[in-house]
Amino acid sequence: MGQGTPGGLNRQLPGDRKNDGDKKEKKFEPAAPPARVGRKQRKQKGPEAAARLPVVTPLTKCKLRLLKMDRIKDYLLMEEEFVANQERLKPQEEKTEEDRSKVDDLRGTPMSVGNLEELIDENHAIVSSSVGPEYYVGILSFVDKDQLEPGCAILMHNKVLSVVGLLQDEVDPMVSVMKVEKAPLESYADIGGLDAQIQEIKEAVELPLTHPELYEDIGIKPPKGVILYGEPGTGKTLLAKAVANSTSATFLRVVGSELIQKYLGDGPKLVRELFRVADDLSPSIVFIDEIDAVGTKRYDAHSGGEREIQRTMLELLNQLDGFDSKGDVKVILATNRIESLDPALLRPGRIDRKIEFPLPDIKTRRRIFQIHTAKMTLADDVNLEEFVMTKDEFSGADIKAICTEAGLLALRERRMKVIHADFKKAKDKVMFKKKEGVPEGLYM
Amino acid sequence: MAPAESNNGTGGIAGDGVAKDQASVKVPSKDPKKKDEKKDEDLSEEDLALKQQLELYVERVQDSDPGLQKVALESMRNLAGEIAQEYGKRQVEETSIDDLMDLVVQIVAFHMKHNAEPEAVDLLMEVEDLDLLVEHVDSTNYKRTCLYLTSSAKYLPGPDDMLVLDIAHTIYMKFEEYPRALQIALYLDNMQYVKQLFTTCNDLKKKQQFCFILARHGITFELDEEMCADDEEREALLEIISNSKLNEGYLALARDIEVMEPKSPDDIYKAHLLDGRGSGGGTVDSARQNLAATFVNAFVNAGFGQDKLMTASSETSTGGSSTSWLFKNKEHGKASAAASLGMILLWDVDSGLAQLDKYFHSTDTHVIAGALLGVGIVNCNVQNDCDPALALLADYIDKEDPSTRIGAIMGLGLAYAGSQNEQIRSKLTPILGDSKDSLDVIAFTAIALGLVYVGSCNEEVAQAIIFALMDRSESEFGEPLTRLLSLGLGLLYLGKQENVEATLEVSKTFNEKIRKHCDMTLLSCAYAGTGNVLKVQHFLGQCANHLEKGETYQGPAVLGIAMVAMAEELGLEMAIRSLEHLLQYGEQNIRRAVPLALGLLCVSNPKVNVMDTLSRLSHDTDTEVAMAAIIALGLIGAGTNNARIAGMLRNLSSYYYKDASLLFCVRIAQGLVHMGKGLLTLSPYHSERFLLSPTALAGLVTMLHACLDMKAIILGKYHYVLYFLVLAMQPRMLMTVDENLKPLSVPVRVGQAVDVVGQAGRPKTITGFQTHSTPVLLSAGDRAELATEKYIPLSPILEGFVILKENPEYRDEQ
Repeated sequence: MGQGTPGGLNRQLPGDRKNDGDKKEKKFEPAAPPARVGRKQRKQKGPEAAARLPVVTPLTKCKLRLLKMDRIKDYLLMEEEFVANQERLKPQEEKTEEDRSKVDDLRGTPMSVGNLEELIDENHAIVSSSVGPEYYVGILSFVDKDQLEPGCAILMHNKVLSVVGLLQDEVDPMVSVMKVEKAPLESYADIGGLDAQIQEIKEAVELPLTHPELYEDIGIKPPKGVILYGEPGTGKTLLAKAVANSTSATFLRVVGSELIQKYLGDGPKLVRELFRVADDLSPSIVFIDEIDAVGTKRYDAHSGGEREIQRTMLELLNQLDGFDSKGDVKVILATNRIESLDPALLRPGRIDRKIEFPLPDIKTRRRIFQIHTAKMTLADDVNLEEFVMTKDEFSGADIKAICTEAGLLALRERRMKVIHADFKKAKDKVMFKKKEGVPEGLYM
Repeated sequence: MAPAESNNGTGGIAGDGVAKDQASVKVPSKDPKKKDEKKDEDLSEEDLALKQQLELYVERVQDSDPGLQKVALESMRNLAGEIAQEYGKRQVEETSIDDLMDLVVQIVAFHMKHNAEPEAVDLLMEVEDLDLLVEHVDSTNYKRTCLYLTSSAKYLPGPDDMLVLDIAHTIYMKFEEYPRALQIALYLDNMQYVKQLFTTCNDLKKKQQFCFILARHGITFELDEEMCADDEEREALLEIISNSKLNEGYLALARDIEVMEPKSPDDIYKAHLLDGRGSGGGTVDSARQNLAATFVNAFVNAGFGQDKLMTASSETSTGGSSTSWLFKNKEHGKASAAASLGMILLWDVDSGLAQLDKYFHSTDTHVIAGALLGVGIVNCNVQNDCDPALALLADYIDKEDPSTRIGAIMGLGLAYAGSQNEQIRSKLTPILGDSKDSLDVIAFTAIALGLVYVGSCNEEVAQAIIFALMDRSESEFGEPLTRLLSLGLGLLYLGKQENVEATLEVSKTFNEKIRKHCDMTLLSCAYAGTGNVLKVQHFLGQCANHLEKGETYQGPAVLGIAMVAMAEELGLEMAIRSLEHLLQYGEQNIRRAVPLALGLLCVSNPKVNVMDTLSRLSHDTDTEVAMAAIIALGLIGAGTNNARIAGMLRNLSSYYYKDASLLFCVRIAQGLVHMGKGLLTLSPYHSERFLLSPTALAGLVTMLHACLDMKAIILGKYHYVLYFLVLAMQPRMLMTVDENLKPLSVPVRVGQAVDVVGQAGRPKTITGFQTHSTPVLLSAGDRAELATEKYIPLSPILEGFVILKENPEYRDEQ
């Protein structure tokens, strides 16, 4: 619950009760009324808002700007010095520890988890426990009432069931799964070719998060999101993985189909939740793979399920460019059927950049072969150029399949090295599979 | 220096159009950086190569092909950087710099020609030769250049800042942009420049405009024959400078906005909007309530000349009920009530004195004291040639009764703030030396002297206050009133920076109980409005100490942070951050001062984040913190009618309905928010937040210092210190007058001011504007511009009174 205090200032020290003597009657006073009831405070109001530094004008580089920046730096240094001093003189931790133990005493153990049904007045509410019945109970004064809203999960005292705290992290577990905790191993180095695409995605997604001032200097707003499209196996997901690997921003990944839920309203809710988490953890990148699962063109829906999918997309549209600006959230969509997507989804302002992933050309193909064969033990007679120069249309994934297949063939024959013939065979096999059983060279 | 500058404006526009096209050429790119690094290596050894390069560049520049010019401009930037480095190196080696200066001259000329004023100024600052600039500015770019110079000045370390402003002044004088030159002269506090301005400028209308600016700044200024030869004209100018038009203009504004109807305190409290408790009962302390109502009434109806408590009934001529409101207050409360009449008739000397006159015949000493104070308030910021205030008040200074004396002394302080009036000094200084006088009389005398001699560094007054401080007995040092003595001393040095050093040394010899407090007060006053980061650091350092009981110096230190940092926007915002840390770590005495400091930083400028912080603090467990926060809420909303603050205060009034002292504070804050029915501001800054009016700041600071010990002063019997705010009260209006000084209604655009420093061309200076016709209200951060070409304003800063001149080149569309 430590994270629940907006602004670090309203520590009402329990030890500070010197003035209680002269106003005894105040003991029965209700606590300060919350600023407002209902929707939870947006993150902007929290300590982060206070921590935001003032904007420095002019934007062009000049001495005045330098001087202003210096001034801000001076103040920050002073703050640092002051805080360091204070921490040395009177360690805060001890004190907060003390406060916390007091609060813990009041809370009592064990606590039970319940649901806030309704706020009655400043310090009473109707709650329901997981067992079922609803109760009219009091809210303890130390609970941050600004954060309470109907429907949120709360901690209750085990006997009197009064509200003793609220569960901050009521992020839908579905969303928390989406967060990529461990960076994927693929990096930009593992991508053969696609130089233009890499550059574009860097400009659109990474640079605005790491160097917003560049865009400010030029005077444009950075793009909000990109869509990656192209034939299957051309590296869309791979590129997204590379972005996740290299960025320090939070990376959330979803597959479009995950957003389709069983119950009405769950899908849009999940989208909302997803973007809220992204905003909380900003700067962040949201990657939605296979967006065509929810983002197809709207037409008269016949079933409730279809309508629900459309609603999910509408929510997505709103989150991408709705009323609440989400400056530090970038969106990457990926699909291989861009023509079936709803035009509203792709309009500038929502998804500003469309990045096409073509089938690899000869140069790229060579790079991809090199990448995949780098770790293989190849016999001397292997001539990859033959495959590179071929007229057949390979995607990146096909090349990988050829290499793997060739390796498997070599294994089957108990050879330690992969020879040219393996590759040839593997290529035929892969192409055969790709053309769905039509043997190569047979045209109809 | 013939007055032929009227064409300047139009000439500038045409020139700008051309210049703009060229400006769009400069495109910052990444490449120069790389080049830069490469060049650095060989340049440092070889200067010749550099010169050759430059010659090449100059050649290119002279080329008519614009494509090449672009390249030249970019290279020029690199070159400028290299020269700056080279200059630094040569300074260390003490070798000749003549050849470098040749280059500099050429580069500057080039930049100035191509709309790159910031670059030119930067380069000249690096080589410490800003004088060169004067030769290169022309009528198309001097405005941008000077704007850049003046805004840099706030961030440059001394003495560079003075130098920069000096250059800006010279340039403005050269181009006959007199109002701006006057602004800088006032900023520099250089009366010589102001005089020079009056002698140089021959246009009476312009001089009148100068007088309006001077009057707004609140300093007394003597016009002699040299500056204005014609007696009649001088008379007219003196009338403007004495601010006697203020009341007239203010009432015209009120009539225009239709807020003449007097408001009663209940209209402000809006108790009907509160549900249930608090609104009905809970009259614990009716005297306190009535006192609060008196103040609310005074603040709300300030300057309108009519209200529902003090004047309304006297017009019904029964006289009975008029006195009845006065006598609904107890003892010292009556003083405040009587003085409130002065507030209601603010700036209106004639009728004010006439209406206050009846109280002089009262037998009640408190009423007389109030009337005396009222006289001072009426005359505040207004000068009258027959000096009625001095004539009336002087007799009462030596009366027996302390409260009468305080009334007279305070009245003098308010009426003559900033005037450095010799007569007052001779009257008041003896009181300081008199050991028989009670502490409160002495304290208020010190404050009054401080106000009259604000920022003058007058040694005799300083001596007198110092002796008075030394004479205090051991027990008196603990009194909160004694601290006002050190504030009086501090006010003498308001904004005077190093001049305070000598007195600071003396203060080290004071009794240890007051020594540190005095130190902090002096320092905070001396560096008020300078933005000096080192001083802020010093104050923060002081706040980091954890004190024994009884030490009080951290309060002034916290206020000092606000006073120093309020100079510029960046410092202000950063100071708000620092204050949040103080709240987090500070002891009670610091936490009490923080809301007040926030109030000072954002006075009459309700920023949402500050509002939130204060709203939170207003529920603090420590009552004094809560009280300070409530008063500060009033200060940040002062004169804005801000509905959000009003709502907060209404809720607070029901929350604290049982606690008389807190409720009193809430009421005062409500009065402040609706001050002058929303037509006034307390901000000491004016003229696009460039100039700081010393008397206004002095008034604010005095009131805040008094609030540091709320219980003893505001909630005690010295609540009339709240009237010190009158010094800072100014109408937040734009009033346009024609050349005969008659109000003239023209359409103006009012919108949020945009920082256009360093931008090429003529960028929009306001955004999100609305068009109104004058007179209009300007809120904090607003700027106005004329929406018609028919008139030309005589001052580029559209604030307060502005004289409009018909545009000779204007032709009606039809």
